[in-house]
Amino acid sequence: MRILFLILLLCLLPVAVVIQDLLPALPPSQERIQLLPVLFCFGALALPFIPALFFALATALIQGLVLLQFQSGHAEGGLAPAILFFFGWAIVLQMSGEVTHGLRWELHALGSFLVTITMLGGEFLMICAKRGGLPVDMTLLTRLAVPSGLSLLLAPLLYLLLRSLVPISSEGTLTKNPAPFDL
Amino acid sequence: MKKLQIAALILLAVAGLFFCLLGSGALSWMQSGLIGFLSPISQSGHIVKSSLGSIGKDLLTLDQLETECGRLDAENRRLRAENNGLRDLLEENNHLRQVLGYREHSSFLLVPATILSHDSGVWWNTVKINRGTKDGIATDMPVITDRGLIGKTTTVSENISEVLLITDENCKVAAKVEGTKEQGICAGPRIGNGDLQLTFLSKLADLQPGQKVYTAGVSGGVFPSGIALGTVKKFHPRELDGEATLEPAADLDNLEEVFIVTGGK
Repeated sequence: MRILFLILLLCLLPVAVVIQDLLPALPPSQERIQLLPVLFCFGALALPFIPALFFALATALIQGLVLLQFQSGHAEGGLAPAILFFFGWAIVLQMSGEVTHGLRWELHALGSFLVTITMLGGEFLMICAKRGGLPVDMTLLTRLAVPSGLSLLLAPLLYLLLRSLVPISSEGTLTKNPAPFDL
Repeated sequence: MKKLQIAALILLAVAGLFFCLLGSGALSWMQSGLIGFLSPISQSGHIVKSSLGSIGKDLLTLDQLETECGRLDAENRRLRAENNGLRDLLEENNHLRQVLGYREHSSFLLVPATILSHDSGVWWNTVKINRGTKDGIATDMPVITDRGLIGKTTTVSENISEVLLITDENCKVAAKVEGTKEQGICAGPRIGNGDLQLTFLSKLADLQPGQKVYTAGVSGGVFPSGIALGTVKKFHPRELDGEATLEPAADLDNLEEVFIVTGGK
């Protein structure tokens, strides 16, 4: 059952990418909804440590490849930043799950907000580092804040949906409790 | 920690390191593979989205019909309902004739394509189209509409290609201004707002709002000469050069059908 849950989450990754691409941009400044960080947060909190890292690697590969830009056959960047970012957040979320004694919807919502805003901010800084310049204005702040705020609002919905699909112990999946995946 | 867990951690670390060290060629191949893998989901999603959109349109038509029906007698209502059904077909027919006419009269070899989705990346402006290598599409092919240039293909899989829009900072186009000798480089700003920036103009250019801007067609470049890029909204001189803000010729927020330029006639 737990293995099925991991497989379900892995299958949902490409679906989340396609859905977030198909969703229309929100007026007035054409902001996009980010579903992948919300799904990643849930997986990183709900899964035990090793599967959470595996899930983080899968998320990083998909997110990194989707956003990779090529100029005359040369990739602008690579997958390393995405892998380090999602590994890092998976570890942080696992540790915060330990503090709260398990998976909680509030933690998932807050995590989704933080992962989204740091992901977008990190992407922007990477672009600035490669292309030079660091334009900071209200549009930039809006571009960071609105998708992150939407992730915060969407997180409880996704949490309820996934919790209803696969029941997870409310006590969490950490070492104090029986590990769902016996790796 | 169990031996199996340690082994899994080492495996993850090795896998992570492996993916970190991949070069451009492997990454391009992987991205193309991912786009190909996602293409059935993307195309299904596009069909569902189009169906849902047409439901909305039908409902709007019914609303319009209702308003008209209030003013007409029973016989006129029936006739108008029939006409309204036919009007949709007429509009579609006219639109397709216009598109076909453009394709036939264009001096380029064009492959028609449909926009599947706008990518959700915040800092990049790309769309996916339903044409790929099996339709003769390759990377760095210009993509246009009957109103003007929209971008160029970047990653191409068998059935789906990614198009980098001209509003992206990375899509740089050599441009010339109608009625002047001014030439510059056109690209989108980093934090895009839908406008284009034409830079490296003479600081004395004094462009006026409404002047049209076309591709300049640099030798060995991606974009042929003479494709509409946009119209000047405002011009301001900088310390060393002049910069103009352009409104794109094509409506990039509401793209549906586009053409990929595969060559000249």
